[in-house]
Amino acid sequence: MRFRNLLAWDMRFQARYGFYLLYGFLTIFYMAVLFALPSSVKSKVAAMLIFSDPAAMGLFFMGAIVLLEKSQRVTSFMAITPIKAFEYVSSKVLSLNAIALVVAAVLSIVSGTKSLGLALFGTFLAGSVFTLFGVIVATKTSSLNQFLLLTIPVEIFGFVPAILHLFGVSGVWGRIYPASACMEMVAGSGISVIGILLTLILIGFLAYAACRCVEKMWQEQGGVKI
Amino acid sequence: MIQVKDLTFSYTGKPFIQNMNFNVEKGEIFGFLGPSGAGKSTLQKILLGMLPGYEGSATVGGAECKKHNSDFYQSIGVDFEYSTMYEKLSARENLGFFSSLYKRKVRNIDDLLASVGLENDADKRVSDYSKGMKSRLNFIKALIHDPELLFLDEPTSGLDPTNSRLMKDMVLEEKKRGKTILLTTHNMQDATELCDRVAFIVGGQIYALDTPHNLIMSKGAAKITYSWIDGSEQTATCELDAVSGDEKLRQLIAENRLQSIHSSEPTLNDIFIEITGRTLV
Repeated sequence: MRFRNLLAWDMRFQARYGFYLLYGFLTIFYMAVLFALPSSVKSKVAAMLIFSDPAAMGLFFMGAIVLLEKSQRVTSFMAITPIKAFEYVSSKVLSLNAIALVVAAVLSIVSGTKSLGLALFGTFLAGSVFTLFGVIVATKTSSLNQFLLLTIPVEIFGFVPAILHLFGVSGVWGRIYPASACMEMVAGSGISVIGILLTLILIGFLAYAACRCVEKMWQEQGGVKI
Repeated sequence: MIQVKDLTFSYTGKPFIQNMNFNVEKGEIFGFLGPSGAGKSTLQKILLGMLPGYEGSATVGGAECKKHNSDFYQSIGVDFEYSTMYEKLSARENLGFFSSLYKRKVRNIDDLLASVGLENDADKRVSDYSKGMKSRLNFIKALIHDPELLFLDEPTSGLDPTNSRLMKDMVLEEKKRGKTILLTTHNMQDATELCDRVAFIVGGQIYALDTPHNLIMSKGAAKITYSWIDGSEQTATCELDAVSGDEKLRQLIAENRLQSIHSSEPTLNDIFIEITGRTLV
């Protein structure tokens, strides 16, 4: 009940802060781009769009959300409510993934995918990884500039190998790299069981680290400039 | 409700809270008084279960603070000195969100808003609120789940006299309802008026713990100060219980030359300075 309420309110906050409106416009723009492209490149461009925006949106938006909560001292109050760090993190991951999945579904359908379920599963896994990274970095930073700077390595190690893999520029180990395994599913071009397992292990590790970071942030109860 | 026994805590190896002992009974208003950096916030964090690395024992409602589960917070309300609201949401939405996090029966949001005079601003964004309005909203947010134990941090800070009175009356009303209240403040007037007992904290130690009345009476006798004209205005002071022995006063009364005379007893602030050698800044 408590978690359901938390999730519902997180989605309400995101709507109030214009996330849904923003992604409504972006989806229309991406659809226009896909319609304008020849069908030979449509699926690859759609995969890149899905992977680099709705799937990775958690990385950027977690910075905005957590830093906003810190600057308004809401995190101080969260620390003395019955909410557990795991519930707080899960709610953020699921609420942002909900937007990512809707946008990914629309773009996948427009690109003519034959494996929508696989694309959505890949989006969900990638979205979870990026959002958890976002939580970890956001809890450790005190300004948006600092956050953007510290997410650069995540972007490099998250995007570059996956995009290279999409265009076939990766070695034999490329398929088991979590970002590449997710990209493969988003593009509907295959499933790497080892890649999925490694991604799930990574999500477990990141979820644990994110919970510890949130607990520490709550204990510190500091405000930040945004 | 609260038992603290031989409590010691350190951030850096050097003790910050030292060998602290006190109890707070159910239904009591207990005040922590001390200057900035005295250890009041650290003590509050320990009692809220946020600093588990202490030695000794600190229990709240029978639960050891460092071993609490998340239900620990079902019966605790905290009014921070600063606003802890989503600024883009209205007061009603903020209260709705925070009340949804508890499984206890929550209090009626409209009644709470009306109790602090915010009923007509309930749907206004918190970012449009004044500092005083935010303080009042923060206070009722701490009450939303009808907690048994309330932590209040400078509850009248930034309020005008009318709203300060309103807030103090609400604190006393909560006491009447059987709630236990821990008040952290610099404001000696509030402490004298509200607290059943107060603890003077400086350097992580309790220097004195008693009722405000006993502290005032035990440390300082009431005095009278009088003035007269002798070329220019002169003043003198004597202890109230030694008035009959003050020759100058007797002479001035006999000659009807007194310009003014008034009695005064020491304030809690005077007692604090006398006991701890510190001011409350």
